[in-house]
Amino acid sequence: MGVLNDVARAAKSIVKGHMVTLREIFKPPMTIRYPDEKPEQPKGSRGMPVLKVNAETGELNCTACGLCARSCPPGCIEVIEETDANGKRMRRPLAYNLDMGKCMVCNLCIEACPFDALEMAANFEISVYDPENLVFNKDQLATIWKNYDAVRIAGGEKL
Amino acid sequence: MPGWLIDFLWVVVKVTLVIAFVGVNFIFMVWLERKLSAKMQARIGPNRVGPHGSLQLIADALKLFSKEDIKPAMADPKVWALAPVVMFAPALLVFYVLPVGPNAVIGTDLNVGLLYLAAVSSFTLVGIFMAGWGSNSKYSLLGAMRAGAALMAYEIPLVLSILTVAMLAGTLSVQGIVQAQVDRGYYFVFPGIVAFIIYFICVMAELGRGPFDLVEAEHELVMGYQTEYSGMRWGIMLMAEYTNQFTAAAIAAMLFLGGWDGPFLPGWLWLVIKAYALVMVMMWVRWTLPRVRIDQLLDLSWKFLLPVSLLNLVVVAIFLV
Amino acid sequence: MADQIERSIGAGVQVIEDAETMEEALRRAHLEEQAGERRRMLVNFGPQHPSTHGVLRVLLTLEGETVIDAQPDIGYLHRNWEKIVEGWTYAMVVPFSDRNDYLAAICNEQAVVGAVERLMGIEVPERGQFLRVLVFELQRLTSHLIWFGTFAMDMGATTAFLHAFRERERCYSLFEEITGARLLYNYLRIGGLRNDVPDSWLKKLEQFLDDFEKEAYPSYWDLVINNEIFRVRTKGIGVITPEQAIAYGASGPVLRGSGIRWDLRKVDPFLPYDQFEFDIPVGTNGDAYDRAIVRMKEMMESVKIIRQVMKRLPDGPVMAKLPRALRPPKGQVYNRVESPRGEVGVYLISDGGTGPYRIKWRSPCFTHLMLLPVMARGHLVADLVTCIGSIDIVLGEVDR
Repeated sequence: MGVLNDVARAAKSIVKGHMVTLREIFKPPMTIRYPDEKPEQPKGSRGMPVLKVNAETGELNCTACGLCARSCPPGCIEVIEETDANGKRMRRPLAYNLDMGKCMVCNLCIEACPFDALEMAANFEISVYDPENLVFNKDQLATIWKNYDAVRIAGGEKL
Repeated sequence: MPGWLIDFLWVVVKVTLVIAFVGVNFIFMVWLERKLSAKMQARIGPNRVGPHGSLQLIADALKLFSKEDIKPAMADPKVWALAPVVMFAPALLVFYVLPVGPNAVIGTDLNVGLLYLAAVSSFTLVGIFMAGWGSNSKYSLLGAMRAGAALMAYEIPLVLSILTVAMLAGTLSVQGIVQAQVDRGYYFVFPGIVAFIIYFICVMAELGRGPFDLVEAEHELVMGYQTEYSGMRWGIMLMAEYTNQFTAAAIAAMLFLGGWDGPFLPGWLWLVIKAYALVMVMMWVRWTLPRVRIDQLLDLSWKFLLPVSLLNLVVVAIFLV
Repeated sequence: MADQIERSIGAGVQVIEDAETMEEALRRAHLEEQAGERRRMLVNFGPQHPSTHGVLRVLLTLEGETVIDAQPDIGYLHRNWEKIVEGWTYAMVVPFSDRNDYLAAICNEQAVVGAVERLMGIEVPERGQFLRVLVFELQRLTSHLIWFGTFAMDMGATTAFLHAFRERERCYSLFEEITGARLLYNYLRIGGLRNDVPDSWLKKLEQFLDDFEKEAYPSYWDLVINNEIFRVRTKGIGVITPEQAIAYGASGPVLRGSGIRWDLRKVDPFLPYDQFEFDIPVGTNGDAYDRAIVRMKEMMESVKIIRQVMKRLPDGPVMAKLPRALRPPKGQVYNRVESPRGEVGVYLISDGGTGPYRIKWRSPCFTHLMLLPVMARGHLVADLVTCIGSIDIVLGEVDR
């Protein structure tokens, strides 16, 4: 009778497995129809770092100190400070290039910045046909900051 | 019009209808499989090409046609090229004896219809061997050998189970079996429930479906005997597999579920409905169960299905006939 | 060395064969093939293959369908991790360590962060430690979900893979809320965590755990683990005896599946695990089925631990007060954690600078891969896939 027991147990396990898939047919699907439906991104979701624009002056907060570039593990930030005709440092970036092809979105640059100039936007749709276009300059970064609700830290909590 | 010309035209019409049906069936069944499996997996399935993705297969077929016809070097070209055709032919041949109404059979009602069915459906094995051998690749050969061993093992319980039905009905002709069910008022699935289950398992193994798809197990040796086929050649093999699925389900519907019997709707529609119900059960089983190994497959056949089907034959012979 | 091992665990230690290079293995197989043993085939399995879980190449010597030898060939995902981090600060090393075992990122971060904290004697505040336990166990749950999905898919049950990922998607959303990222978090910092979690998140976590325990988890048992075909395909496959497991240095579920009750969370707690009640599931036969059962039961143990943490979570800061630039004293430390795959170890040599002088990463999957020839000998090719799947291998960790 051991054989019959085994057969009964085997049959029961197979039937139970089928009930699981049958129940699953009547549940709603998990897929979303991208790009018609976009995924729900919580506040603070990491897409790409962007440069913050001061609301009153309309200028970037960035003073081109270079701390973000030094703290970036893949080294994807390039900052060049602007100097005027006499060579005096203007504490403004002449060029700020962020290579999204190398960026691993680790958030360290945003935490390193002491001037509240960098924030993390949730924009992940940055696909381009030419990888050279993945290098964002400061104007592009400021525009993206204006269009997206960027935050310093996930959940909006203070460090 | 001379008589032979009318007959000839009639044959042409029937063949065209069958081929058209096979084509539409293929499109519908692939769509059904993809949608059903998606529903079971919390997905949506094809949903962009056509309403609810119904025209997805047209896009896939166009893609297959546009692929480069890669012929592997050192292959036996004639054998390799003929293999998909040999696999597809038996699928069409089964339609010859399908009854679609009380007095209508697509071809002729052979009085050895069951024997014809068993013989023709085991011809797919030759096609698989040709595919594996002609490709001259280690993977394909391994896959073909495994498929051959499995298919041969499952022929015997299959034939024994349909023999049970023949015993119950008293005739080998397919139309006769359906008629017997209609006359007696009950479908053969009730006295022959064990035979039905055995037939179902055997036919899923023959088709290489469900838990027995090791002959084309993508996770093991790439695609087995289908590795060296691309483009429309592979499309034909796929079509052969799906058409065989339909015919196997149709045979089960006729032998066990009464074929074209049913109120209100025309006979051929009932046959199609019953066949598709069984096809959906086959798909349900395929997407639920994991795969069995080759030695477990052979164990199941020789050590379990064969004795059970023999026992079933004896029991039916003694008690019911 | 062999007699030391023999004395410590008793007789029956299998002599480990001399290491063979890939060229020697190939040459031997070709000679065997030519010398009349025509039934032996040398087959290349991978690196592009749907079921090797990454870029792993296995050189199989087959006789018919039986595996005579299975030599793994690794290095396809080598990214030079240990050398690159020699020039970086500790803050940079932490997100980079995520990428080793990318399916259980928090465990890697804990290994690195814990090493530095031990070297500097930093005390993490209690809320930070409890939250670390919480995310660590949540990571264990998600990693075992992936193992379950891919293992079932290797067997042929594709549906189970998608069911597992449905739960994992919810975990991704949970992690995205507190850290901002779905897979690679950079959440642990030296001295604590990056940010605290709001109470609303804890409620969502509880909702997820309730749904998981009530519906999803029993359905995994019904659909796959109790299924007769699955049992037949994994019982008796890939047997590792306890002596072999210890001799080859196995850890985690591979070791526990062979019957040895060894879990770093109980033996050498790297986080306050001694304050929580949980069991360690242990197998008996050391086959793939037992390892599967161990991992399934560990999923439930993780849920238990997370619930206990949520109930007893104290208030307070999550980050210790530390200077911006950390300079640990000169010294060496070895920190180990119990990741879902086994013992992940970080051997850190500090020369007093802001970054590591040398980090050596002890990867459990690297060690387990050495058991593959032992496990697969004598089985069929289909069982080789089972064996690789039951190690729960992640090539990012093997190759670094």
